[in-house]
Amino acid sequence: MRIIAAIALVLASTGATVAHALLDHATPRVGSSVASAPKEVVLSFTERLEPAFSSIEVRNEQGASVNAGKATVGSDRTQLRVPLKQLPAGTYKVIWQVLSVDTHRTQGNFTFRVGQ
Amino acid sequence: MLKFPWPLAILAACLASATVARAHEIVGNRFFPATLAIDDPGVNDEMSLPTISMSKTGDDPSFKQLDISGEFSKRITEDFAVSFAPTWSRLYAPGGRVMNGAQGFQNLETTFKYRLFKNAEHEFIISAGLVIEWGGTGAKDIGAERFNVYTPTIYFGKGFGDLPDSLNWARPFALTGQFGYAIPGVSQTTTIITDPDTGEQDIDKEFQPRVFTWGATLQYSMPYLKSAVADLGLPDFVNRLIPIVEASLQTPMSNTLTSGTVTTGTINPGIIYLGNTFQVAIEAVIPVNRQSGTSVGVIGQLHFYLDDIFPNTLGRPIFASSINSGRPLFGR
Repeated sequence: MRIIAAIALVLASTGATVAHALLDHATPRVGSSVASAPKEVVLSFTERLEPAFSSIEVRNEQGASVNAGKATVGSDRTQLRVPLKQLPAGTYKVIWQVLSVDTHRTQGNFTFRVGQ
Repeated sequence: MLKFPWPLAILAACLASATVARAHEIVGNRFFPATLAIDDPGVNDEMSLPTISMSKTGDDPSFKQLDISGEFSKRITEDFAVSFAPTWSRLYAPGGRVMNGAQGFQNLETTFKYRLFKNAEHEFIISAGLVIEWGGTGAKDIGAERFNVYTPTIYFGKGFGDLPDSLNWARPFALTGQFGYAIPGVSQTTTIITDPDTGEQDIDKEFQPRVFTWGATLQYSMPYLKSAVADLGLPDFVNRLIPIVEASLQTPMSNTLTSGTVTTGTINPGIIYLGNTFQVAIEAVIPVNRQSGTSVGVIGQLHFYLDDIFPNTLGRPIFASSINSGRPLFGR
């Protein structure tokens, strides 16, 4: 039992460095309704990202992209942001795909609403 | 002649320990955690250490059983993994010190699992595996058999993130399951039993049944709720929880002359906490009938995601070719 506890302790202490990059929070907030159209979408992840392999696409209800530019990774490499065109009221879907620095690829999507 | 009901206990113990191997998996938005009562569909580098369970068997009279197990799973390729799962058991026989029970390792189990199909959009995954219990590797005192048991198994997982927006509340739900058929390497075993009082010998012939092993889990993922449906601003601890109910069942299907055909198993409600590189889980173990146990037990597990802890060495496939699976250990 002591050996098991020792191994578990070593793994627990080792494991604080890198992992899959999962979405921690977003602006606009996941599933939220915002009164005024946001100028950009900002995603914060649990791990640092590889910029060349990380992207966001925001689509309107017709499935058309409303990105106004390319997604960029912030200086701390955990934030990914993309500028948006002027958004009319409606529901928008954020589709993201990232590669963490430990080479794990993750993806996801969520929606937010403008003016509703 | 008085016979202690080890065979039934041993069958139950072996079948229960046959489902100790665990995995975790990410499919699109969905994170399928490692589960305790049944194996999930994931193929990954990971380690459960330890898994501890305490329960009371369905024998008459019933007795306590303590299991301490571990599991190490290693990807050979991105889609194929091999895992090893030793289990140490202690059986507390009724009658206290007079019949002090037994202890030792169960037969070692090895699982070969291959991911057949994964669809991110529909959060669906299906895998196929072969579980082998290696006869003769465990202690006879706790009834580890001398023959191998082969269990071809299908695993699946389905997240409900593709439900329409009108059913947003249900999108964090996920279902996983497994269906296996345990085939003993022998059809029957014979044991010579000596009566301790009279010295008379008796031959005990036991037929080894083929058993349908099946189970499912229903999960509600708070991480999924936060990251894909609605961020409600809940505390971080709550956002890392996955309430879960597992069912693990076994039904003898053939060669059942001595085993009977009664389905045994447990229903396990519990909760999983997800860290970045590990998870902790605890579940109640509720027997589905008298033959499955006589009281509610408990099982807990500490599980490590080796692919996250050692992404460039131990935690990546030995042979891999794509970037999203981690770099291969040898070449590319």
